[in-house]
Amino acid sequence: MAKNQGGSSNAKAAAARAQAQRSVKAQERRTTIGIIVGAAVAILVFGGIVWFIVQSSSVPGIDSDELSAPAGADETGGIPVGTGGVVGEDVPEDAPRVDIYEDFMCPVCGQFEDTNAEDIDALREAGTVAVYYHPLSFLDRYSNGTQFSTRSANAAATVADAAPEAYLDFAHAMYANQPAENTEGLSDEQIEQIAIDAGVPEDVAATLDDGLFTKWVIAATDKANQDGVGGTPTVMVDREIVEQAEVPYFQPGTLRAYLEGL
Amino acid sequence: MAFKQGFAAAQPWVSLVVRVAMAVILFAAAIPKFQDIPQSIRAVRAYRLLPEEIVPFVGTMLPFFEVALGIVLLVGAFTRTAAIVWLLMMAAFLTGVIWAWSTGLNIDCGCFGGGGEVAEGETNYPIHLLERLGFIALGTFLAIWPRSRFSVDGLMAPAAEPDAEPALDSSTNEARK
Repeated sequence: MAKNQGGSSNAKAAAARAQAQRSVKAQERRTTIGIIVGAAVAILVFGGIVWFIVQSSSVPGIDSDELSAPAGADETGGIPVGTGGVVGEDVPEDAPRVDIYEDFMCPVCGQFEDTNAEDIDALREAGTVAVYYHPLSFLDRYSNGTQFSTRSANAAATVADAAPEAYLDFAHAMYANQPAENTEGLSDEQIEQIAIDAGVPEDVAATLDDGLFTKWVIAATDKANQDGVGGTPTVMVDREIVEQAEVPYFQPGTLRAYLEGL
Repeated sequence: MAFKQGFAAAQPWVSLVVRVAMAVILFAAAIPKFQDIPQSIRAVRAYRLLPEEIVPFVGTMLPFFEVALGIVLLVGAFTRTAAIVWLLMMAAFLTGVIWAWSTGLNIDCGCFGGGGEVAEGETNYPIHLLERLGFIALGTFLAIWPRSRFSVDGLMAPAAEPDAEPALDSSTNEARK
């Protein structure tokens, strides 16, 4: 504030003018800064919306006709394996349906396979249950940017499509060679070699890194999550999640006994 | 009296620290979400609180919104408004965590990336709630005392904070550059 005692009316008027100027300038500054901050926020939010639109239009839903799904896969993103160990062949229709949701990067899925794979194979071969495998890509963030979960799930989908008799051997071999989390995972070449060793024809193995079913993997992962699968491994029987509190399936034989009792 | 004067001198500096801390928290929350947007969507879905139609949109926009608010706080523009937006956001997250706890969902909050369902026993709701309460305390402090050092609001003085506490020595506010 200017001196407010004993001044002439001129001085008072000058002080008032100066004060008015200051407040006009302050107002201008405020408007400018408001515009800058508003624009920055708007650009960010707009960018987010564009990103959202691009992302949601690039991957169609699992039930879309535009999506190329591996032969045999159903609308839940499940890959059925029949009594003879071939995808889509001799899948029993009257047996209880078992859905197994796994991520090739997930160490607990590796434990699940160690504990239960032989039992599940035996029950499937006997026709006791119809088994649907769901290779998911929940854990891409654990492979140092190489998207191992997506790459390996796409490889599994490609094998299911083009070499359906080798699917199970390939999936089992992938768990036998499972990389640790927070590594780069297996390289495309390593996955190809595992496939060849598991009986996948070489011309099919050469297409595993082509990403033929990458969009299907993303859509199937999304569908699984919408169906209530929040983590891997998850087991469903007749499309209902089996809780570990009810069936502690990391204890050997527990899952087998439960499935046999259905 | 001495305390009051001491507080008046220290408050703009404390508010600066609070403001920057809030910005850093927001950036730390946003970065892992940017690296895995689908996971951010799954973390939102895991609360089972929002309708499926808007879950992907909310999950995608969350990190953008966090960064936007973080930038506003970092530069110190419209500090009180930003603090109130922060408080609204925290209230929403707090509601989510309490909801998840009360319905017995086994989920990680997903606050700093990750998130989604976890194995039983891995959820740590009390810690999450304490963390939330700490964040709310930060926001409340800044909403009550938004004036801070090195802020864009400061450049807008003298008329920047007409509702600021007059006791808090507005002359330093004008003098700072």
